[in-house]
Amino acid sequence: MSWRLQRFPSPKPSVALAVRAVAILLALVVGGLVVAVSGLNPFALGNQVMKSTFGSSFGLEDLGLLATPLILTGLAVMITRRIGLWNIGAEGQFYAGALAAAAIGLFVEGPAWLMLPAMFLAGVAGGMAWITIPTLARAFVGVNELITTLLLNFVATLLVYYFATGPWRDRGAGTLGSTPRIRYEMPELWGMVHWGFAIAVVLTVLAAAVLSFTRWGYEVRISGANPENALYAGIPVRRRIIAVMLLSGAVAGVAGMLEVAGTVHRLQGGISNNFGYLGIIVAVLARTSCLGVFAAAALMAFILNAGIILQTQGLTTSAIVALTGLVLLFTAIGDEFAHYRLVRADRATA
Amino acid sequence: MPDPRLRPVNGGTAHSLVSLRGIAKHFPGVIANADVDLDIRAGEIHALLGENGAGKSTLMNILTGIYQADAGEIAIDGKPVRFGSPLDAIAAGIGMVHQHFKLVQAFTVAENIHLGWGETPRLASARQLEARTAAIAEKFNLAVRPDARIHALSAGEQQRVEILRVLARDARVLILDEPTAVLTPSEARELFKALDAFRKSGNAVIFISHKLHEVLEISDRVTVLRGGRKVATHETKDCDHRMLAGLMVGREIVLGNYRDRSAEPGNDARPTVLELRNVCADDQRGLPALRNIDLAIRAGEILGIAGVAGNGQRELSQVITGIRPLVSGEILVGGKAVSHQDAAAFAAFGIGHIPEDRLRSGLAPSLSIDDNVVIREYKTDAVSRGPFFDPRAANRLARTIAADAEVAIPDFGMPVRNLSGGNQQRLVARREIRIARKVLVAAYPSRGLDIGAINTMLRYFVELRNQGVAVVLISEDLEELLSLSDRIAVLYEGRIMSVFDAESADMETIGLLMGGQTAAAPATSGARS
Amino acid sequence: MNFQYSFSRRRFLALSAAASSSLIMPGWVGKAGAAPLAAIKEEDAIIAFGLTGPVSDEGWNTKQNEGAKAIQAAFPKAKTLVVESIPFSADASRTFRQFVQEGAQMVFSTSNYGDFFASVVERSPEVAFLEADGRRVADNLGWYYAAHWHPTYVLGVAAGLLSKSGKLGFIASFPVPMAISSSNAFMMGARSVNPSATLQVISINSWFDPQGANQAASALIDNGCDFLFGVMNEASYLQVAEQRGVRAAMWSSDMRRYGKNAYVSSIIPDWTAFYVDQVRKRLEGTWSGGGQTLLPLGGGIDRDAWGETVPAEVAAKADAVREKIIGGWSPFTGEIKDTTGAVRVKAGETLDEVALYNWDWSVEGVSGLST
Repeated sequence: MSWRLQRFPSPKPSVALAVRAVAILLALVVGGLVVAVSGLNPFALGNQVMKSTFGSSFGLEDLGLLATPLILTGLAVMITRRIGLWNIGAEGQFYAGALAAAAIGLFVEGPAWLMLPAMFLAGVAGGMAWITIPTLARAFVGVNELITTLLLNFVATLLVYYFATGPWRDRGAGTLGSTPRIRYEMPELWGMVHWGFAIAVVLTVLAAAVLSFTRWGYEVRISGANPENALYAGIPVRRRIIAVMLLSGAVAGVAGMLEVAGTVHRLQGGISNNFGYLGIIVAVLARTSCLGVFAAAALMAFILNAGIILQTQGLTTSAIVALTGLVLLFTAIGDEFAHYRLVRADRATA
Repeated sequence: MPDPRLRPVNGGTAHSLVSLRGIAKHFPGVIANADVDLDIRAGEIHALLGENGAGKSTLMNILTGIYQADAGEIAIDGKPVRFGSPLDAIAAGIGMVHQHFKLVQAFTVAENIHLGWGETPRLASARQLEARTAAIAEKFNLAVRPDARIHALSAGEQQRVEILRVLARDARVLILDEPTAVLTPSEARELFKALDAFRKSGNAVIFISHKLHEVLEISDRVTVLRGGRKVATHETKDCDHRMLAGLMVGREIVLGNYRDRSAEPGNDARPTVLELRNVCADDQRGLPALRNIDLAIRAGEILGIAGVAGNGQRELSQVITGIRPLVSGEILVGGKAVSHQDAAAFAAFGIGHIPEDRLRSGLAPSLSIDDNVVIREYKTDAVSRGPFFDPRAANRLARTIAADAEVAIPDFGMPVRNLSGGNQQRLVARREIRIARKVLVAAYPSRGLDIGAINTMLRYFVELRNQGVAVVLISEDLEELLSLSDRIAVLYEGRIMSVFDAESADMETIGLLMGGQTAAAPATSGARS
Repeated sequence: MNFQYSFSRRRFLALSAAASSSLIMPGWVGKAGAAPLAAIKEEDAIIAFGLTGPVSDEGWNTKQNEGAKAIQAAFPKAKTLVVESIPFSADASRTFRQFVQEGAQMVFSTSNYGDFFASVVERSPEVAFLEADGRRVADNLGWYYAAHWHPTYVLGVAAGLLSKSGKLGFIASFPVPMAISSSNAFMMGARSVNPSATLQVISINSWFDPQGANQAASALIDNGCDFLFGVMNEASYLQVAEQRGVRAAMWSSDMRRYGKNAYVSSIIPDWTAFYVDQVRKRLEGTWSGGGQTLLPLGGGIDRDAWGETVPAEVAAKADAVREKIIGGWSPFTGEIKDTTGAVRVKAGETLDEVALYNWDWSVEGVSGLST
């Protein structure tokens, strides 16, 4: 009786999950080896990272703060994956949402209970507005959304830089290159972690439910997997694309709003911290699973946080970026391996 | 009986050009080939016959270096060889023309012939390439237009380019996969002549086909595969239709005459359920594909649509199922004009649609079987509660449909692409038959099915018809059309050439109409005028 | 570096003392006479540095890192932590907080990280914080910077003399006071010798973006500029100037090997004496918050030795101005107009150091920066 390795069109979910875990472990091992070669003690560093991250409320709060925008930008990208598209512009929509929310926060006065929802809606509107052109171009002319969403990122970034260092800049004492502090702040949920974390979690669970348990979600699924099949069944693919893309922009815009109202409290050029682009990695790791977004965002938050800790221990930023890359690389390799299964050579079933 | 004019001069006595010994190939959970021996002699046309899934394609993919065999040997001229890639096989003189042509549509014939060829001169002008192409075409006596772009050519012409491309690379063994599927009868005759010439010069042809009459007509020897194993190799002259079919299926099958009905009202008495009035529609590229179609589809009839593929069949099936918008004209569904195209509304009215390419439009390959099977009924109470989609209810419905379709599914959560082509087709057919209360549009429904499954499906169609459902059967298999249809319409370049009662039709006339000739059209009945 | 300046500790301490009485910023006022933080044993000391870019930039961050190395040399038993490339985002808070978590008793933020820094300062009253280019003080927080506008004015004089077209180019990061005062001082120096000179500014939204600086430099030269200056942390625009045959002045370090012919001079800060002094106080238990320090020309900030191709008479004229400034003369005396032509400083009035530090309007002749 002989055994052979054979490729299956789809991996078993349990195998895929196990392979993911092995991939991340391997990346850490390789990262540790590199650390050891450069003369540092990987175990001491690892211990330090674990202690700083999980051994203190500071570390856990940081994880929560980092995960909040990552969950949302990851969700934004993942939603478009469900309909077979890529929103590479979560970064730009993040900025647009932050800009719109900051505008409300800076120039409109009112009670906090009213202003925070107003800023939230502004964030939604800003994110949606920023993806509108790519959406219409995709839906009606078939212009590749990868390029349009990506290019608009730069426009949004520069626009925010312009407002933060130009007309809206803080003319009093304090922070340079940013607007004055915005009075309306997301209340804190736990330590420094604000209610935005809860909003991110709720939005993701909601999105998961809508995509899995509604007719609309089913139609999105079909439209994404095979648009011709959707047209064949009379599903209005164009309308679903428009809705999904606008939703994606709105979610990224909310991430921007929460960063303004919850963490930074000012609008400034670097506010996105690359969360929009990191959202792509989160979505890739999460595949098309909404709930996978949590795990992937938590992993990314952990890596980012570990990066800061490791830097104070003498590792350079590039080492951290390389570690992130390793995780992605091994995951990609692992995902391919997950397609293979050991089967008996002489078993024949058709 | 084989055409005596096509007998080889040296038939049966030539040496083995290619010999396969003990070839085996395994795929996940499946044995695609096991212990296959095959000898291809110089100067013969060797037919490879088998149902879908019998292992014909896998075997040819091994011979052309696309797959590597798990066991067994290949010898060319008696010398063992190993093909690591298709390039090795081409170098050894083995070339294949696939069922789906692999030509660059935007390139000229000359460019396609010279693409990826070691002997293509560097820095050659278009004129030089065309001259070389003309010389090659003359050498092999295959007429092509070197400067024409592929998309401007008919299927038959494209096939000639494919064959020429293989022959130009000094192929001694030419493998043809279902070569007549896209050809008119006269084009097929041209092809057979070219193959005959090729054989006479001491080369060999491997001819893969489903169509028994072609195999009997052109081949010298026949090898039948079943379940990945070789069943037999026979001299064609010792074979007949019934015997080959029996070898393929493992039991004797006869295609019955389904038209037999008793005490039925005549064609004209049945009510019209779907009507096209002066309908024009464009194809995917925006070019006119349907021109002024008038057609009435009646309850309780099977309307056959004959024609060479690419003459508007796809667009016709899309128009009558609400997928494709009209450029002009109107469609009446149940007597009411439809204002805008809405496939969901057509389906809700009771129009089912087995599309010609299930993976392209009938299924979402990466989604689960549940998701795929409920696509026609997800809005109904069987699956949904208001706006909510109930995955467990979807699974229940999927189990019902799979059971009706007699498809055994180990895991309904797995992607539908993991199923075999035949099982996919069975599921799609069952799914569509369920909703076809008024009309079932079936485009090439027997593609990818073996004879047994075809019989089952055709029997379904007859049952539907007998229940009063209109069945529109689009097919290129005239035998199938003639044995099943009540009326037959012939499509040519987007026009209906003629509509007539199947009883009064004969193959020769239909063949002429398919080629665009109207002279010998028989008296029509039931066509709108 | 050929030019040797004599470091005058008394001078910057004097300014520092003056600052604490007069340079009180609105918004966040430190308690007068805050109690010094407790002494620390050298072997227990952890001193942390947050940098904006890579220590290898041969510019601002290399210089800051030299400061950190000087501390290490002066207090070999103490431990220094240096983190490079901290983004101007919430990640900065995380890094500074991490410093505190790891037990740092003194943290230098080598750029203005604003709230991201302040939020950590607030929560860590027992840690001493110093913020370069900062604006706020507290019981545990002081700020420091260098009066870079003085040597910049000197380079402006040289540029005015060397430019043939009278068109000068400036590569800025952001329209923040540092870039505004730098471009203004440069313009005023140039106009003191060539009243028709103009200065075109391009902001590239980064302190360290060699590609962006390259593009900006090319654009400026295409517009006719034949002298480039800027506040970049690296040497890329000097290389562009060298290739295109124009001159350039730089920031932070001697970069002449990247463009022998183009190199005119550079604004060179030296933080080492100040940093060692601050750490010594912290260890001794005499450091307290509220410090506001601007290192003066010749006392922590100066020009570099002149480039090879700078004619002796140009160097002499510019150096004469430098001596005058060291002698107490201020070039930033009215009448000074802004870009709209409005008089912002009346004749006879002089902008004081606080006003120069917080300059947020461009002078006449500068285009492209202020809003």
